[in-house]
Amino acid sequence: MEATQATPVKYDMEVVRWFTIAAAIYAVVGTLIGVYVASELAWPFLNFDLEYITFGRLRPLHTNAVIFAFGGCVLMATGFYMAQRTGGTKLWSNKMAWFTFWGWNLIIVSAVVTLPLGMTSGKEYAELEWPIDIAIAVVWLSFGLNHIMTVAIRKTSHIYVSNWFTMGMIVMITYLHVVNSLAIPVSLTNSFSIYSGVQDAMIQWWWGHNAVGFYLTGGFLGIMYYFVPKQAGRPVFSYRLSVLHFWALSFGYVWLGAHHLQYTALPDWTGSLGAAVSLAMIIPSWGGAMNGMMTLSGAWDKLRTDYILRFLVVSLAFYAMSTFEGPVMSIKTVNALSHYTDWTVGHVHSGALGWMAMVAYGAMYHMIKKLWGVERMYSESLVNVHFWLATIGTVVYVVAMWVSGIMQGLMWRDYDEYGTLTYTFVESVSAMHPYYAMRAIGGAIFNLGAWIALFNIVMTVRQASALRGTNAVPANA
Amino acid sequence: MDVQAMTTHDWLGVFFALVSAIGMVAVYFMVFRPANKDRFEAQSSMALDDEDPIKLGEK
Repeated sequence: MEATQATPVKYDMEVVRWFTIAAAIYAVVGTLIGVYVASELAWPFLNFDLEYITFGRLRPLHTNAVIFAFGGCVLMATGFYMAQRTGGTKLWSNKMAWFTFWGWNLIIVSAVVTLPLGMTSGKEYAELEWPIDIAIAVVWLSFGLNHIMTVAIRKTSHIYVSNWFTMGMIVMITYLHVVNSLAIPVSLTNSFSIYSGVQDAMIQWWWGHNAVGFYLTGGFLGIMYYFVPKQAGRPVFSYRLSVLHFWALSFGYVWLGAHHLQYTALPDWTGSLGAAVSLAMIIPSWGGAMNGMMTLSGAWDKLRTDYILRFLVVSLAFYAMSTFEGPVMSIKTVNALSHYTDWTVGHVHSGALGWMAMVAYGAMYHMIKKLWGVERMYSESLVNVHFWLATIGTVVYVVAMWVSGIMQGLMWRDYDEYGTLTYTFVESVSAMHPYYAMRAIGGAIFNLGAWIALFNIVMTVRQASALRGTNAVPANA
Repeated sequence: MDVQAMTTHDWLGVFFALVSAIGMVAVYFMVFRPANKDRFEAQSSMALDDEDPIKLGEK
């Protein structure tokens, strides 16, 4: 055992606490905006004829809030936490970590201001304009440098696999973000991509899918490989498989982006290559999911009473499902039906809500107890309530989008005996209404769970602080 | 295949494809080599080793 010290390590955990609380708040805000934009699609009067709150402007705010505000804060909290704990050391630079925290939050605030005002580069998942893009690069590099240097000054000889996943994400996202964001500025609030036509589309989805691959998958797999063993109290089922999982992801994921551009002006072989590698990625992805689940071998009974573990295990189920569904959707025959439909939206949310948010909440609950030195959350029952709301909300959302997506695909390509389209586009929109309402309800259920989590977290922190006030001796994790 | 017609980008693509493929084979070999099994699996409980307390109020 390498990391155990005779005298406890003095960690830099205050910044981790702030990132964790910020993540809980952003989860509420991000999903709330999501529910609103979903409701706008079902009931368009909710636009209120205000351009600032139309779907087109609020949708990127929703994606930025959940991916970069919620997801980013979770990744930075856990990244700093895992590097310190597994390395038996404090942060390389606590001051730089605070710079990262305030810088990241400033970027989020700037997104909240600029996106509703319509200032956008128009690139999906990279809508923010060039001055903010530069700020993202600087702040992200401060996180990356600090994390990598903290790993470098570790007291242990081995670099735990979670840190590999985080470092892989840091390296990949750095160059993906910089290359994708290259643009010619024409003013402070407007710029044009240096790429054009099909190259622009290819770069866009090279970024888009790798943001999913290295940020929403790789980064969160790092979380999974640390927090599942911790919460289950069991070693990783196969450490060799986790190493293989990391390298297979690193070598394979960068090839997938072209599968977003089947049947476009992109050369046909690039889409086929993207689909072929996507299918090949099922093997390491499922290997990793099984590795996480098998870590519970001999401890499955804990699922009855450990609600945090439920979050982590269900997240793995959604991870396995999404990493099978994605490659299937990339096959040209399936893609001909699924592309441009709500099926894609359902697929993304089965990953984002079922995998990313679930594993994030599992890690957050685990960390909060450790960081504030409490044995239990303020209410363990509320953790269970949150778990069921998150699970049910996700399932309702995803099922609604599966049904509406497949219906859309079938309606759009249905011909009558004269070779003309059977349905007009408006008829397909009209047919979607019940499913759009169902999607909004599913999202609202998930959002309710996020509110409950925030309440439970705040009360746990307040309780711990009150305990700290009455006890002179610091509580232990 | 018309090798003469291949551009620098084509060759770069071939290069990176080969590096990735060879790298992946090397990783499989490294991970599944019986001699390396104990070395890897010795780290499987590393996440469980950091049970020292975190003090409240650290800045």
